Amino acid sequence: MSDGPGIIAVVNIVSDTEAEPGRRTRRFRISSVEVLCAILLIAILAQSRLQQLFDVPALRTGSTVFVAVCVQALPFLVLGVLISGAIAAFVPARVLEKVLPRRAGAAVGVAGLAGVALPGCECASVPVARRLMGQGVAPAAALTFLLAAPAVNPVVLVATAVAFPGKPEMVLARFAGSLATAMVMGWLWARWGKLEWITERALRRLPDVAGGQRWRVFAETARTDLVEAGGFLVLGALISSALNVLVPARWFGVLGDQLVLGVVVMAVLAVVLALCSEADAFVAASLTALPLLPKLVFLVVGPAIDVKLFALQAGTFGKSFAVRFAPVTFVVAVACAIGAGFLVGVV
Amino acid sequence: MKRETQNILLILLGGALVKIAVNGDYLRYVKPAQQPWIVAGGVVMVLLGAVAIVRDLVASRKAAAHDHDGHSHSARPAWLLLVPVLAVFLVAPPALGADSVIRTEARAPSSAAVANAAAFPPLPVGNVVPLTVNDFVSRAGWDSAGTLNGRTVSLTGFVVHTEGTTLLARLVISCCAADAFPVTVRLRGGEADHLASDAWIQVTGQVVPGTATKDNSYTPDFTPASVTSVPAPKDPYEY
Repeated sequence: MSDGPGIIAVVNIVSDTEAEPGRRTRRFRISSVEVLCAILLIAILAQSRLQQLFDVPALRTGSTVFVAVCVQALPFLVLGVLISGAIAAFVPARVLEKVLPRRAGAAVGVAGLAGVALPGCECASVPVARRLMGQGVAPAAALTFLLAAPAVNPVVLVATAVAFPGKPEMVLARFAGSLATAMVMGWLWARWGKLEWITERALRRLPDVAGGQRWRVFAETARTDLVEAGGFLVLGALISSALNVLVPARWFGVLGDQLVLGVVVMAVLAVVLALCSEADAFVAASLTALPLLPKLVFLVVGPAIDVKLFALQAGTFGKSFAVRFAPVTFVVAVACAIGAGFLVGVV
Repeated sequence: MKRETQNILLILLGGALVKIAVNGDYLRYVKPAQQPWIVAGGVVMVLLGAVAIVRDLVASRKAAAHDHDGHSHSARPAWLLLVPVLAVFLVAPPALGADSVIRTEARAPSSAAVANAAAFPPLPVGNVVPLTVNDFVSRAGWDSAGTLNGRTVSLTGFVVHTEGTTLLARLVISCCAADAFPVTVRLRGGEADHLASDAWIQVTGQVVPGTATKDNSYTPDFTPASVTSVPAPKDPYEY
C-alpha cells in the first residue's frame, strides 16, 4: 500500500486505461467517469419510459424484492468492511498469529467459536474472513469463521428461539448443525484445500502499518473492500430476486409429510431464496405443513451457502474457489443438519 | 473503472440509502427496526467515498509528497452498484401487493403455527375491535375458545381478486420484503368485488366460524358490514 513517492503517475495512467485496454488513444479516451455520467443522464431522461417498463406485475414484485435485499444487506456489508479495515489497520499480523493456535486443526476450533462473537449476517463475514486470510490466518480457520459467524451468533439463535417457542431443541440443533458444518469445512480445507484456488488478490498481505498511517489504511481498505464486495452483493440480490419471483409457490405446498423430498426441496430453497440468517427462522416456522427436520436443514444450509453468498465468495476469493467450496458446503451442511437433527431429536 | 467513478458510485448508493431511510420509503422494503442501520450504512458509504475523493484531490495537488493507494486491478463488477442507485432514485419500486399474494400461497402466521391451540387472550371490550389481519387469521384458525365468534372487528388491508373470489390481504414480513408471506381473509357479500386490486380498504364485520382450515391455507370467511376505501398506510406490512 505504501509504494513510495513517484508511483502516483504510473497508477494514474494504469487506472485511466484499465477499463478499456484495447482503446489506448492518447488524445481522446472515454474514461469510466464519462460513461457513468452518460448512463445517469440517459436514465434520468428516460425515467418515465423506465417506470412504464417496470409496470408489469412480475417485474414490479421482482424489483421490490431486489431493492429490499440490497437495503437489508448493504448496512451489514458496510459493518463487515469496517471490521475488515480495522483488522488491516489496527491488528498487526503477528498478534493474530500469537492468538491463534499454530496447528490448523486447532485453529479451526477457535475460529468456529469466535464466530459466536460477530452478530452480523453472512454478508458481513465475507470481507472479514478475506482480511483474516490476508493477515496470515490459516485459510482453513478463516473459512470456518466465514461459515460460523452468520449462523451461530446470539442474534440468530435468539431469533430462532422466538420463531419456534416451546421448542428449544430447534435452537440447539441449529447451533450444533451450523457449528459442525463450519468446522467440518475447515478441517476438509486443512486436509485437501489448495491455496492456488484462492485468487492471489485475496491473499495479498498488507505490510505492517506505521503509527501515523492507521486511519488512512483503515478508510482505504474499507473503501476498496466495499466497492469490490458491493458489486457482487448486488449481483446476488439480482439473482435471488429473480428466483424469488420465478420459483412456483406450489413447491412449498406439495411437500406435506414427505420427509426426504422435504429435506431436498428445503435445502434447495435455502440456496435459492438467499434469506438473511436473522429472518429465515420465521419463514421456516410459517411452513406449518412441514415436519421439523426439513426446516432445520433450511436453517443450517441458508447461512452457509446461498446464491448471494456464492456471488460474494466468487468475487472475493475467485471463481475457482467458489465453484469448489460452494457445492461441498451445500452437501456438508445438509449432512450436518440431518445429523444434528437426529442427535438432538428434531425429527 | 477509475477510482473517481468508484467513489462517485459509493456516494450515490449511500445517498440513496439515506434518502429512503429519511423519507420513509424504506418501510416498503424492510421492517421499521432497520432504519438506524440503513442511515448508518448510508452515511458510512458516503463518508468513505468523500474521504477518498478529498484525499485524492489533496494528493494530486502535492503529488510529490504523497504516495498513492491505488489498487490497479479491474473492478468491473463495481458497475453493478449503479443498479440499486437507479432502482431507488428512478424506479422506486412500490411495496409488495396483490401480485405477491397470488404468487405466494397464503401461509399460517408463524406466531399461531407454533402456539397451535394455545390460549388467545380475550378481545378487548368495545363494539368494533380493530385487529391486525395476522392476529385475526391466527385466532380464526387456531383459537379453540372462539374469542372471535360473534364479535365485530375491523381489518385493514388491500384487495386481491383471485379465482373468482375477493380477498382482503396483508403481507407479513420478519426482516425484509424477500421473506414476506401473505395472510388473507375471504370477503363475502360482494361489496368489494368492484374495487381494483391493490386498493386499500377497511372492513368491519364478523368471522364465519370454522372456515379457516388447512385445505384453504387458513383463509377465514368474513361477512362485512361495511367496506370503506382508505389511503395506503405509510407502513404497508404487518410483523
